[in-house]
Amino acid sequence: MTEQKTSFEPKIVGFLCNWCSYAGADKAGTAQSPYPPNVDVVKVMCSGRVDPQFVMKAFEKGADGVIILACHPGDCHYKEGNYRAAQRFRMLSRLLKQFGIEEGRCRFDYVSAGEGEKFVTVITDMVAAVRALGPLNKSEQAKTA
Amino acid sequence: MKIGIYFCKCGTNISDKIDSEKVKTGLPSGPSELSFKTIDFMCSEDGKESLEKDIKENGIERVVVSACSPRDHENTFMRVLSKAGINPYLMQMVNVREQVAWVTEDNEKATEKAGRYINAAICRVELHDPLEKKEIDICPDVLVIGAGPAGLKTALSIAESGRKVVIVEKTPVIGGMPVRFEELFPNMECGPCMLEPVLGDILHGEHAENIELLTIAEVVDVVGSYGNFTVTVKQKPRYSDIHKCIGCGECIEPCPVSAKNIYNCNLSERKAISFPFAGALPNAPFIDEAICLKKKGYDCSLCKDACPVEDAIIFDDAERTIVRNVGAIVVAIGSDSYDCTKIPDLGYGKIPDVHTGVEFERILASNGPTYGEIQTSQGAAPKSVAIIHCVGSLDKEHKEYCSGICCQYAFKFNHLIENKLPGAKIHHFYKELVIPGKEDFHLYNHAKENPNSTFIRYNNIETLAVSEKEGKKIITNSADGSSVEADMVILCPAVVPTVESGKLGTILEATHDKFGFFEELHGRMDSTQSKIKGVYLAGTCQSPMDIQKTMNQGMAAAGYILSGLVAGRKLEIKPITAVVEEDRCSGCRVCVLVCPYKAVAYDTEKGSSVVNEVLCQGCGTCVAACPVGAIKGNHFTNNEILAEIEGVLS
Ligand SMILES: Cc1cc2nc3c(=O)[nH]c(=O)nc-3n(C[C@H](O)[C@H](O)[C@H](O)COP(=O)(O)OP(=O)(O)OC[C@H]3O[C@@H](n4cnc5c(N)ncnc54)[C@H](O)[C@@H]3O)c2cc1C
Ligand code: SF4
Ligand code: SF4
Ligand code: FES
Repeated sequence: MTEQKTSFEPKIVGFLCNWCSYAGADKAGTAQSPYPPNVDVVKVMCSGRVDPQFVMKAFEKGADGVIILACHPGDCHYKEGNYRAAQRFRMLSRLLKQFGIEEGRCRFDYVSAGEGEKFVTVITDMVAAVRALGPLNKSEQAKTA
Repeated sequence: MKIGIYFCKCGTNISDKIDSEKVKTGLPSGPSELSFKTIDFMCSEDGKESLEKDIKENGIERVVVSACSPRDHENTFMRVLSKAGINPYLMQMVNVREQVAWVTEDNEKATEKAGRYINAAICRVELHDPLEKKEIDICPDVLVIGAGPAGLKTALSIAESGRKVVIVEKTPVIGGMPVRFEELFPNMECGPCMLEPVLGDILHGEHAENIELLTIAEVVDVVGSYGNFTVTVKQKPRYSDIHKCIGCGECIEPCPVSAKNIYNCNLSERKAISFPFAGALPNAPFIDEAICLKKKGYDCSLCKDACPVEDAIIFDDAERTIVRNVGAIVVAIGSDSYDCTKIPDLGYGKIPDVHTGVEFERILASNGPTYGEIQTSQGAAPKSVAIIHCVGSLDKEHKEYCSGICCQYAFKFNHLIENKLPGAKIHHFYKELVIPGKEDFHLYNHAKENPNSTFIRYNNIETLAVSEKEGKKIITNSADGSSVEADMVILCPAVVPTVESGKLGTILEATHDKFGFFEELHGRMDSTQSKIKGVYLAGTCQSPMDIQKTMNQGMAAAGYILSGLVAGRKLEIKPITAVVEEDRCSGCRVCVLVCPYKAVAYDTEKGSSVVNEVLCQGCGTCVAACPVGAIKGNHFTNNEILAEIEGVLS
């Protein structure tokens, strides 16, 4: 059992805005700070572009977690896309709950272009948290069972 | 479809971690024909050449570049695609250096991750649409609103480059606040003299023919966007022809009526026909229709009879509506002073000889109400003057911010009082002292060295009170029970946005910050751009500042315009914008609400929302917000992003 848990490699999709978070991820790269490889990045111009259907699609297609990263409040390259994204995320969280998807599987956070270290921490935490939750389908089954 | 996948080794930066052979064998088998090539340094001249050659020779239709961050070289490779004869948007870049090779400890995992990313890029690039940059014709002319130092500096620079400028000034006089100030900090230069060269050039300099100056005018409507605005201006009659009038002033003396002169802060009177103050430019008087007898229907023409020039006075002058086409707009409407009656204990408006800084400037001015004599309401020279700094500034109950200029003009006043009233006592009541800059400390030091100047610190303006006793003003501080006597009190009110700032903002669709100043695009990087493309901000309408910063912002606005809008050059519109599919739009207008750039408008005739491509910055917020999926985000379409999601997960 424990054996299985540690060998579980979560699949996580990360939606990163082009201007801050994606640049923050690049910063972690130039600093060569390692982090777990489980988060696959899908770049959008702004976190405001993240349509809830993208998140649903990711879970449907086998993601165990989704993380949305935006510019800090007030720093969005497009002024206020991240506020919309944060609003939408609150709605989405409720929706996910209804679907029986645990809260920890979908996260929203802020990473600026300078915050390479924060990016590494956020990603590392997310991977650990989803790893602890186990694969998505399993936990869903556990719920319904 | 033939897709070329180009894997850059980046020396050993990528190839040390990611096994390109394994990536190659792991490529998906889909409908598209895939070709996989490795290149050593793709961004080098050789690398770009081999990329171009391979695309051409092998009839590649779509390109996946697996290399460094697109933030580094996306543009580089897009240009290679163009050179190779395919649309540059038919490429997807995979960031395997910064976001895989450099951050993944395990080689195998890094290789797997690169494989997933390349797979996703293949899925996505299959769906890419070729996109074209659009070009639109622009009008290089410029509208400047406000003829203070900021607006005039911009206008002159633009005119000097040979462009047409329309200046709209609300009052009959140009030069803004400083032309009404006798001397200026930090170097005690004469205000009107310092500005004279700029004013002179505006009115009759070498490039004056490029400048259309509309005084007593107001912008009432603006439509269009960057490159092509149509502006409607209403100009009130001046009743004098600024070109014919020789400025002799013969008309003034015979005029039988007068009223308070707002250009002297109501401290003196002005005839129905007169100049705002001596030396005001343009050098032609104007008629105040509110009091002019002729305008009231009486048979008076005393001014016209006295005028030596035919038709210089025009009684039947009328309001004009002027429409101009411009490519850019500069807002330079300046600021106001905080209403001191909001701190009633200071006695402003109730107790005589309690003045604001601007009023005191007029008192100091040789063309002011007392011709530069500092006098109390009793006509006496004050023996002591109290200057209260920070009136309403740095105060959560009033204005939270520091107005930045008040300390400096307070010490300027110190200097001028010393000169005009030798031996007079000067009491500075201050909350904080703020004197930044390499020149500005001189006046402060000077005040400190003056044995007649005292500095009294207070904590909270609410504990200060000004009362009057036998002509003396008594300033008490209830916090410590202290009191000081003075013959005159000068308040240094916070610099605040003008009352019209809101109205003009609405016309321009430009936003304001929480204090009501025009909001800049970015506080550090772009304080001269508003959040509306093509609308620039200069001077104290954006934030309190001194003349130096004001002039710099005026120049910055000119710089943006001269580099961005070039006569004969078209405006390039990047194709990553939103597009509404008109027949799917339900008319809910959510998109209009969410767009931060006011780029979406609802077209009632079409019955659909429409995106203005010039204004759209391509954030995609409306795309995600549209409940019926009627908006397509070019290059980030739902299908493209969904394909990428599936690609990384499969
Ligand atoms: C008491 C006092 C003393 C000062 N002393 C100094 C000093 O010694 N040295 C120094 O460097 N700075 C000084 N300053 C600061 C200085 O006055 C400002 O930095 C400067 O005036 C800002 O210029 P501006 O062009 O932004 O605005 P303004 O000078 O205010 O000019 C704005 C212009 O726009 C016009 N306008 C307003 N609304 C509209 C509208 N809706 N449509 C069309 N036109 C409009 C106004 O009539 C005016 O002509 C002082 C300020 C104060 C209050
Ligand atoms: S959000 Fe969509 S449906 Fe609503 S007005 Fe805009 S384009 Fe039309
Ligand atoms: S993509 Fe962004 S900028 Fe463009 S219209 Fe939509 S919300 Fe406005
Ligand atoms: S651009 Fe980063 S959140 Fe909008």
